[in-house]
Amino acid sequence: MSSTISQMNAASLAETLQRVGSGDRAAFEEVYRRTSVKLFGVCLRILPVRQEAEEALQEAYLSVWRRANLFDATRGSAMTWLISLTRNRAVDRLRSGGKIASAPLEWADDVADPAPVASTLLEIGEDEQQLAHCLATLEGAEQRLIRTAFFEGSTYAELATRSATPLGTIKSRIRRALLKLRDCLA
Amino acid sequence: MTTLPDDAELLAAELAYGLIEGDERASAEARLGTDADFAAAHARWQAYAAAMFAGAGEAPRPSVWSAIEARLPANDVTPLPARFASAGSSRWWRAGTLAASAAAIVLGVVALQKPQTVFVPATQPAASAPMVAVLTGKQGFVTVSFDPASGHMTSAPAGLDIGRHSPELWVIPADGKPRAMGVMDAAAPSWAKIPATASSAMAAGVTIAVSVEPVGGSPTGQPTGPVILTGKLTTA
Repeated sequence: MSSTISQMNAASLAETLQRVGSGDRAAFEEVYRRTSVKLFGVCLRILPVRQEAEEALQEAYLSVWRRANLFDATRGSAMTWLISLTRNRAVDRLRSGGKIASAPLEWADDVADPAPVASTLLEIGEDEQQLAHCLATLEGAEQRLIRTAFFEGSTYAELATRSATPLGTIKSRIRRALLKLRDCLA
Repeated sequence: MTTLPDDAELLAAELAYGLIEGDERASAEARLGTDADFAAAHARWQAYAAAMFAGAGEAPRPSVWSAIEARLPANDVTPLPARFASAGSSRWWRAGTLAASAAAIVLGVVALQKPQTVFVPATQPAASAPMVAVLTGKQGFVTVSFDPASGHMTSAPAGLDIGRHSPELWVIPADGKPRAMGVMDAAAPSWAKIPATASSAMAAGVTIAVSVEPVGGSPTGQPTGPVILTGKLTTA
């Protein structure tokens, strides 16, 4: 029952986003109403300074307005499209501040990032739970590398510089982790 | 799920997680359009990546939406058929019509008052065109005109009755922070020079709003009562 309702919601969010693509402002307002809480959470995860997160959120929705016509419902859910776009805007803002490359990355020590605890897992979706579970099966250093790449927008080259590790080592380590993730999530 | 060779699978993941850059990234992006299996793998990795943002999220302040609206292209950019086809589009149409007639009225007021004002040459001619906004919302409407050259504003209310309170005007630029423009007369056209902090924020596309404040205006410098009317500033 609940999956039927959430599928209906997902379908109608995709339809609403497609209407935004044809320049429908009422649809744009509806997309904002339905997704801004989640997407502001995305911005805050990447940009903890509230004002910067708000500015990234504005930029993200302006991109949604301009680029909604590129959304293709056959290539994934509307929410995934919105989250990817928002993450990219937030990372652009983070990087434009020049704050990234300088912070050294101590990936050799195995201090784990705060992973969601069980009580939080109850509040999140099935996909999120499965991903959290699979991330938790990786070694601490592998998790850190993937999280840093994703949440701080660091490329292979930057991760190598920041951790003072040869590029080839970083690449093979992350690739090994990604394949483990795939096998766990499949 | 189609099983891709590990190399292709990894490339799709690397693209979704933002690990690659430059030519490598560009060629992976191009492959999305030509290789359906690769595109499907990329979509799958994007969904995994999106799932890294677990948790409930948080509501942004209402000013964020105002700022987004203020930065959208002007209303009349949307092609007519789309505007009329969509639900709620009549609102935009009415606002546009009102704006046109109100702009004419307000410009008349500005023209009448010109002789009273000592104009200084504008340093930026492009930004010196008069600007107008029609504020609509819960009650009546207010037209506002602003002359960047002099920093003077006129306001003309219609159908506004807020009892023993003062209507205060605010300009809200893209940063979402309201700047006080001053208290207006609820019953008759009024004319004032607005503070420099507000004046520097006046630009086409920003939001102008009226809030209900204690008599004499907000005691804090920020809106304290409900916002009853809003509109966009446009170049006349």
